[in-house]
Amino acid sequence: MLNILKDETERIERLFEKYPSRRSAMLPLLWMVQEKTGWVSQEAMEEVAEILAVTPAEVYEVVSFYTMFQQRPTGKTHIALCDTLACAICGTHEIAAYLEEKYGIEVKKVTKDGRFSLELVECIGACSMAPALLANEDLHGNLTPESLDQLIASCP
Amino acid sequence: MSITELERVLLPNIEKNETEWLSAYKAQGGYEVARKALGMTCEEMIQIVKDSGLRGRGGAGFPTGMKWSFLNKKDSPRYLCINADESEPGTCKDRPLMEQRPHTLLEGIICSCLALEVQSAYIYIRGEYYKAAKILNKAIEEAYEAGFLGENIFGVQGKKVDIVVHRGGGAYVCGEETALLTSLEGYRGYPKLKPPFPAVAGLYGKPTIINNVETIINIPFILKNGAEWFKKWVHEKTTGLRLYSVSGHVKRPGVYELPPTVTLKQLIFDICGGIRNDHELKWVIPGGSSVPWLLPHQIDVPLSHEGVAAAGSMLGSSAVMVMDHTVCPVWALANLSHFYQHESCGQCTPCREGTAWMFKIVQRIEDGHGTMADLDALYSIAGEGKPGSGMISGKSICALGDAAAWPVGSAIAQFRNEFEEHVRLGYCPYKNKRYWMANGRFVNEQFHPHKHH
Repeated sequence: MLNILKDETERIERLFEKYPSRRSAMLPLLWMVQEKTGWVSQEAMEEVAEILAVTPAEVYEVVSFYTMFQQRPTGKTHIALCDTLACAICGTHEIAAYLEEKYGIEVKKVTKDGRFSLELVECIGACSMAPALLANEDLHGNLTPESLDQLIASCP
Repeated sequence: MSITELERVLLPNIEKNETEWLSAYKAQGGYEVARKALGMTCEEMIQIVKDSGLRGRGGAGFPTGMKWSFLNKKDSPRYLCINADESEPGTCKDRPLMEQRPHTLLEGIICSCLALEVQSAYIYIRGEYYKAAKILNKAIEEAYEAGFLGENIFGVQGKKVDIVVHRGGGAYVCGEETALLTSLEGYRGYPKLKPPFPAVAGLYGKPTIINNVETIINIPFILKNGAEWFKKWVHEKTTGLRLYSVSGHVKRPGVYELPPTVTLKQLIFDICGGIRNDHELKWVIPGGSSVPWLLPHQIDVPLSHEGVAAAGSMLGSSAVMVMDHTVCPVWALANLSHFYQHESCGQCTPCREGTAWMFKIVQRIEDGHGTMADLDALYSIAGEGKPGSGMISGKSICALGDAAAWPVGSAIAQFRNEFEEHVRLGYCPYKNKRYWMANGRFVNEQFHPHKHH
């Protein structure tokens, strides 16, 4: 029984047309789930398994391999702060400290009001704009305390 | 040399962002090369690419024309995969290309599909590139509507090209071509043993060519202007303009399009304005995080595959990371080793265990708990930064283990005294000491917000 993806049958059919093998729709389906619910729950994995006619364990195997699939609920705005060398030498840790001190946003935690969650991630491909982060889908680079304040204020 | 004097091909409108729209691109002569390519034979096109000397821009630098000639055309269907995973730390050149020249990339894919007699292409783009994926999808939609993609492209009966954007989920290893294919097939991104090479048995077991975004975007320009034009910019066996991603402590980091004759020194001190706050240059990683490190006296070399190799490193993905004297090399190595142990897919024991051990040992030294024996252990695991040396390099399915070991071997070779100093002192002698995450949470001695540059 589909619940999360029950209104998406048309999109899913179009997805299958793109690949010679149904299994290739695995990552696109997981992205679809994450777009709708913000994370990939066990229920979602069971639905994806049903759609692809594989076992839930096979879906979990994939979900647990790719770091961008969230296995627990995130804040309304999920911040993925880059912590690989180019960003780290340009202030990642100062930013993490700033976010915690000023806004109470802590690494690997969701804020009490549910507005934010923060994660330190490996390189996000914005090295020449270091330090950089992804706030949900949006890339923000050349971060300063001022630009962070603006970003935080602009988030719902 | 000033930036304005430099020729630009791939990045002419990098600020304007106007090529996103099909009409703007067509006004500049867009898709005319693809139309012309329909009248050329496959052999002709492959020969031009071979003659141009174009080499893969993803990191390995393999000659593109030669790769294309390996495709087994007796089997079908065949596939073209565009590697837009761009995950080598330091590399950030394909994102602006996709965001600002999506139609040029599509034209490159169409031309390549015609040369390779391939009807479906997949763009495997890293999950973090939300915006680029959206822009590409929109451009693809436009191209279908205009009749440049789909059945009977440009009105030519029987010519078919389909392009699909496939998003990854955040895994460095999926930039490795066979891992990219397993990921695209809907599995964990596990690399596969070669042979068989993808050109014989790749995606869904069928002949497949995998090329980097920047490689493919060069194709329309080469077909239009000819192989000799591309060789205007040449140093030894490296031809054409190329994109250099510059990050770290230069005054003007960014993505620069330059000929391979430009030296690393010119790039850092002339084009990027030198080191921030007029600090001292400490070291450079010239080709993405996997390559051996270079000291200031080693950087007066052309930024070609051969030039950087002569200095003892690799051009790789031409991602230049610049560190000033405030950066502790042991801390930096711990950062990179953390990356590799996190990204090892776990299939092969030497890489899975080796990367984790290297990180633990480097971190221990950085934390001041290391011993001289740790240095030797590290050296024996990582080897001397050369292929085949040490306990990891050459002993796993893909090159991730090698990529993890090379910086370790070279960091110790370049900064042995500093590693020993950490051991002797029992702490990291650098100011603004930063600690790695402890139990998943970052811990900093000076834990207060302050203004950073």
